[in-house]
Amino acid sequence: MQKLELNEISAGYGVEEVIHKISLKIIEPSIYIVLGPNGAGKTTLFRTIGGILKPFSGQIKLDDADLFDSKDARRRIAYLSHLSALPEEMTVFNALKYYADVEGGDIEHSLDLLNLSDLKDRKFSSLSQGQKKRVSIGKIFLRERDLYLLDEPTSNVDPKISKEIRDILIKLSKDKFVLYSSHNLYEAREIGTYLILIKNGELKFFDKIENIRAKQYRVGIKSLNDISNLLPESKFDNGYYVVTVDNPTTVAKIINDLVHSGAELSEVRELDNPLQEFFEE
Amino acid sequence: MSFWQATIRRSVRLSRTYFILGVVMSVFGTILSNMSSFIPANIINIESTSIDFMNSIPLASVALLSLSALIFSTPVVMLFVFDKNTGVLEYLLSTGLDQIDVFKGYVKASLSLASILLAFSNVFNTAIGIYLGTSLGLVANKVVLTFAMGISGVLLATVSMMAFSSLQKSQMGANQPLGTMIGVIPMLPAFMAPFLFPSYAMVIVISIAVVTSLFSLALLLLSSRLIPREKLLP
Repeated sequence: MQKLELNEISAGYGVEEVIHKISLKIIEPSIYIVLGPNGAGKTTLFRTIGGILKPFSGQIKLDDADLFDSKDARRRIAYLSHLSALPEEMTVFNALKYYADVEGGDIEHSLDLLNLSDLKDRKFSSLSQGQKKRVSIGKIFLRERDLYLLDEPTSNVDPKISKEIRDILIKLSKDKFVLYSSHNLYEAREIGTYLILIKNGELKFFDKIENIRAKQYRVGIKSLNDISNLLPESKFDNGYYVVTVDNPTTVAKIINDLVHSGAELSEVRELDNPLQEFFEE
Repeated sequence: MSFWQATIRRSVRLSRTYFILGVVMSVFGTILSNMSSFIPANIINIESTSIDFMNSIPLASVALLSLSALIFSTPVVMLFVFDKNTGVLEYLLSTGLDQIDVFKGYVKASLSLASILLAFSNVFNTAIGIYLGTSLGLVANKVVLTFAMGISGVLLATVSMMAFSSLQKSQMGANQPLGTMIGVIPMLPAFMAPFLFPSYAMVIVISIAVVTSLFSLALLLLSSRLIPREKLLP
């Protein structure tokens, strides 16, 4: 796939329009983080791009194929919702087989990729929430797609599995388009290359995350010795000397000066996530 | 295995009670169907009434046998509601299927299940009928009517149930029994026609079955226009 293009897409449920005239063009395989408060329209956007909801107006194109005129185009998209969307009464293997029968695919590949082989004979309804999530993710890897729409894929998953899923997605994004909604701003910043911000059903921001500039940066500095006299404008909070700067490049100079002044630094960390400020604006 | 075949297997696993109930009702239908052959004629006081019980009762059993098929296929419509609420239907739409593809899958599954029971009950019923010396004409009529009424009733119930379940605002499938009730309606005349209009019973029941089938098919084909995709979402 070379591009996903949304032209003035408006969509919703019944007569209620939830997303309004969203236009964006995605041409680079990467992870696109979709952020927005609850009710902003993220799920509606995913459902519309996924071909589940028909838009009220506008057009979605995958390469040059109109999404709603082409079943083949829709088959190139994987959609992972909040719900497991798997037959609860089946075993893990049979639940995946159910979808493999519908749309084709390699069950063993999914089982291996998500480390599900040990669970394959367990009844889906008997699994923990985290295990269910893994199986649910497994179904979208039954066959290869070009575009992956993932609505909070790491919710209800323990940190270890969460990392495994992120690693899979990072690898996947080398040559696939991954749209990933998350409320975890640190996770978003860690894996995302682009940010798509949705608020009140409108596209508010679409750019590379590295281009996001916060109004101010709070940096926490830990030192083995007392450096309060070297940082008179800092505040001491939770073991950190907290310095607020306008530009992250200033931090390097502060650290350099501290080291040359005899500070024995043990840790330097950014205390706020620039996405947080962006999210709450 | 295709989607509708998988739906049959899942329905069988979902609830066996309906299958047992369907089989039991089918056995009752078969007994009723052949009752006039093994009950002595003097028990039914034929001369006191103008109703031809010997022929009317077997034809009236058609409705009971059709109802057994409806009950037998009920887990399919339950599964539809279940799949809607758990997001399975949403995922099926995301795989490129249209709502008509989804509806057809469940309709095929319910008709297949109904056909299986109707086939068995008719074979059983025919064998008993021939053994008891029932006329071949009456036996053949019962087979045709049972299939026509059973299949059309199940078709109407399945399509109605999917329409009602899709269009209701709240989840949980509270409207699901409504579709089943609607499926029963065309079967009611089949109960009465053999007694009220014995000469035209066959024509009446076949006509109702044809009209019911055509109406259900039209409703199914229109479903993609009448029921938007969003109605299949959890």
